[in-house]
Amino acid sequence: MIRFIFVQNRQGKTRLEKWFGSYSDQEKQKLKAEVHRTVASRDQKHQSNFVEFHNNRIVYRRYAGLFFCFCIDTNDNELAYLEAIHLFVEVLDAYHGNVCELDLVFNFYLVYAVLDEIILAGEIQETSRSVILSRLEHLNNLE
Amino acid sequence: MPPMKGLTVFIADLRKCRSHEDEEKRVNKELANIRTKFKEPSINGYNRKKYVCKLLYMSLLGYDVNFGHREAVELVDSTKYSEKQVGYLAVSLLMDDESEYLRSVVRALRRDIHDGSEWIVCLALNAISNIGSREMAEVLTSDIVVQLLSPAASMFIKKKAALCLLRLLRRFPESVKAHQWVGRIAPYLGHRDIGVTQSVASLMTALAQQYPEETRKAASFAMRRLKSLVIDNEYTLDYVYYKVPAPWLQIKLLRLLQYYPAPESSEARATLLSILRHIIDLSQDVPRELQQMNAQYSILFEAINLGIHLDIDQGLMQECAVLLGRFITSRETNVRYLGLETMAHLAAYIDRLDSIKAYQGVIVQSLRDRDISVRRRALDLLYSMCDVGSAKAIVSELLRHMAMADVALREEMALKVAILTEKFATEYGWYVDVMMRLVSLAGDHMGDEVWHRIVQVILGNEELQVYACKISLQTLKAPVCHESAFKVSAYVLGEFGHLIANAADSAPIDQLKALQSKMTSTSQSARAVALTTVGKFINLFPEIKTLCLRVLDRYRGALDAELQQRACEYYALGTLEGEELLPTVFEEMPPFPERQSALMSRLLKREADTEDQRTWVYGGREMNRERRGVTSGAASNDSREAVAESSAMPVPATGLNDASPGSPAASKKGAQEALPVEPPTDPSVAKSMRNYARLLWENDGILFDGEEIQVGIVAQYKPPSGRLGVFLGNRATAPLYNISITARAADGSQLTIQPAAGQEAEQPETLMPLAQARMFFDIQCQQVFTAAPTLHIGYTVAGCAPTVSELQLPVTVGHFMDPVTISVADFFARWKQLGDSGIAESQHVLPSAFLTKDAAGLEWLRSVIGGMGFALIHGADPEPNNIVGVGIATTQAGRFGCLVRVEPKPTHGLTRVTIRATNVEVAQSIGGNVKMVFESR
Repeated sequence: MIRFIFVQNRQGKTRLEKWFGSYSDQEKQKLKAEVHRTVASRDQKHQSNFVEFHNNRIVYRRYAGLFFCFCIDTNDNELAYLEAIHLFVEVLDAYHGNVCELDLVFNFYLVYAVLDEIILAGEIQETSRSVILSRLEHLNNLE
Repeated sequence: MPPMKGLTVFIADLRKCRSHEDEEKRVNKELANIRTKFKEPSINGYNRKKYVCKLLYMSLLGYDVNFGHREAVELVDSTKYSEKQVGYLAVSLLMDDESEYLRSVVRALRRDIHDGSEWIVCLALNAISNIGSREMAEVLTSDIVVQLLSPAASMFIKKKAALCLLRLLRRFPESVKAHQWVGRIAPYLGHRDIGVTQSVASLMTALAQQYPEETRKAASFAMRRLKSLVIDNEYTLDYVYYKVPAPWLQIKLLRLLQYYPAPESSEARATLLSILRHIIDLSQDVPRELQQMNAQYSILFEAINLGIHLDIDQGLMQECAVLLGRFITSRETNVRYLGLETMAHLAAYIDRLDSIKAYQGVIVQSLRDRDISVRRRALDLLYSMCDVGSAKAIVSELLRHMAMADVALREEMALKVAILTEKFATEYGWYVDVMMRLVSLAGDHMGDEVWHRIVQVILGNEELQVYACKISLQTLKAPVCHESAFKVSAYVLGEFGHLIANAADSAPIDQLKALQSKMTSTSQSARAVALTTVGKFINLFPEIKTLCLRVLDRYRGALDAELQQRACEYYALGTLEGEELLPTVFEEMPPFPERQSALMSRLLKREADTEDQRTWVYGGREMNRERRGVTSGAASNDSREAVAESSAMPVPATGLNDASPGSPAASKKGAQEALPVEPPTDPSVAKSMRNYARLLWENDGILFDGEEIQVGIVAQYKPPSGRLGVFLGNRATAPLYNISITARAADGSQLTIQPAAGQEAEQPETLMPLAQARMFFDIQCQQVFTAAPTLHIGYTVAGCAPTVSELQLPVTVGHFMDPVTISVADFFARWKQLGDSGIAESQHVLPSAFLTKDAAGLEWLRSVIGGMGFALIHGADPEPNNIVGVGIATTQAGRFGCLVRVEPKPTHGLTRVTIRATNVEVAQSIGGNVKMVFESR
């Protein structure tokens, strides 16, 4: 199960945080900082996309200046979540038309809606790019 | 939703702020503005939505936003989709479980979940998944179930409803009453929509762990669905991800199947095999594109995991091992990582490790990989694949890497080295050497558990003590001595320093000097340990008492309260008039009671933190088999081997990790009833008696060996409870039907024996020739009992009347005995004391011709008494051939001390055995056991 999802930039600013468990505000702040420290310091070329984090694991991938991080259980399938990140990014990209960091900032409330169509309750809900995109378009046209 | 201009401007404003102070000013201004706006009665929906969004943005930046909850609820009640959407988002981001507004939200959800428009229902389901409070679980579960099962509900509603239930089930399992609807979910695994199947498979995986019986059908649904995807290519193009059909669904289904045992029917097995083979064949060529490769490999690794779990085809396993061998040398770091991880899974189950050992060199190399994540996996794999044969090599490699390993990895490495060394030690010296080196190398990076455990092990194993003393003294004399090594050394010398006091350069004065030389440079906690050692030295070595007192005296003024207190108290003890108190206080420590090693618990804790249960853990085969036995209890056909194995287990010569030795003894009623009460004409009566007698002092062996069945026993006692494994083998040439294995305590006896949790359901109905069934029983000894429990085995051979065999179980009060070490003086004091009371004694003079014929007879006698749970006290009896021992029998009602004295007279071919206990029935029962063992030799 996914514990939380962060999208952070290289300076460590969190552009999206989605929590699937209950954490206090203090824990949240601490985890965001720790994840950034853990992930940003890793060698992107020669190191894997997986790293141990407390009793869980972070699966992450960097797109331009943004780190997309999923925190998952140690018995979850790492590659499956690595590709779920890619699916998420592809959907964002198509939805916003070549997505950039600022899109996530200004449309933060929409990013949550996008996520709700792909991942729910910490599990992958829908994996077809076309199904997700046509659904989002439909919802976007509602008043 | 069209963008809200005011919000965009506000965000842009904040981004323009140069300093944090500027930003804070802007935020405070906006908060004041919003407060006023919210007070206006005329505020419209659009503005409300906009301001709530601004609040959300500020809260995400980390500002404390503690108002706007009411407005969020008002948005939820709006009829406009975009306002409702922001409303629910605000509720999930701003409110916690205690919010007073949550009740109104639940009311709104209840309304929206039955709304006529599909997207409103979906919005409500999203909100429940995101918030998931207890009240929602209690009030809304049935509505969600209705939506999931309703034929009218859209695909979107169905998949969201399934995940909603999953969220509530995980968080509040007691509130969702899953037993009411669990049976109706499985067929949805066959749903034509892949999105629905995907979500239902996640829900099903959680249900499978809680309701294995009710969800049994899910396995065949999952298998059929997999087959349609993998072999029959039934999927829509929408779900093809970089040329791979629905990878996430394939993975989910492959994982779901790992929560069920391998199917019984050969047809189903063949289907599963062909699916796995198909997936493996597809992965033979490495795809060019990264996404395709990842998707393909994610399925492949899950398929290998399923293959390992099912364990139905040797050829497939070999192929997997070869594939994994290729992966761990891959140039892709991700693939190396997963290769090592999956190989650890293989190592945790496979019978012969040879195919993995071939890669030992590569794996050791991986400890130096550029990526710490890969290094971790290599460590886990080495830990899992370690066995008696490779322990020395692996441990020494790990020690070699310890010095250069990352700080983050060192603690785990240290834990694993400690566990492996203890588990696979075959020589005392090796254990002590490795552990001392370990604490010196990694002392700073590990918890106290490690050095505590070393002390426990040394205290519990007499044979280790002299060598441990020598090494301890050397350690203290070395130029540099690590803190933890110092603590171990100080403790060991304090307990056993006298054992080496006559050796060269090891006189008491040398020991004290060595200790003192390092004391000044260690921490306070280490000094505290050392002070206790000095105190013990006063008792052990009266000749250096003055010197010891001088050391203590110096610390009587220590600033640290703990040091001061110890010094003062020990000083006072040492200078006290009278000789009695000192030896009593500093009496040798008794061995620590057997318990699960704290090292193990620490390691397991790390792995326990997963939402879905792990289907395997890092570590060797025994560990995983034990887990499997406990969780699924699947009747495996290798249990015959397990019986043989557990007796021939590579138990270290020291028995370092051995469980408490059970201590057999039979009821005083004697041999006659101990025999199978089965067909009286059975020619194997004498043999059965021998079998039974053997189980009075050994923990496992054959209980009954008939023409049709064979019954084996494996027992483990943790007084006052125990666990008994019964293995039933079919020796006939035809299958046995209607198998039943039950155990009964004798009427009125204070003993309970019942199937271990989850066992009853696992009894197979049919047993094929040469197959084995097994059954575990939990035993509790409430009070001393005299009549042994019985085992009833029923079965039918085709065409015959049902047979029921009744066997007496080798479970007596003597089995609940643990060895206790006491000093020679104490032994005779208690022996006399018990003898004076005169009642609780059992004495037999037993013919023992074997003593004259067999030179090893005496040795055998010692193992019998030791096996019964007595700690043998060497050199206690003036007559060297005599054996004396001490044990304590534990029942829930009380503990009974028990002393034994065996006086063999080889010249006469007789042996006198005397048992004295604090309870007459215990003495008689054990006396009877010894008699029976003699008679059946």
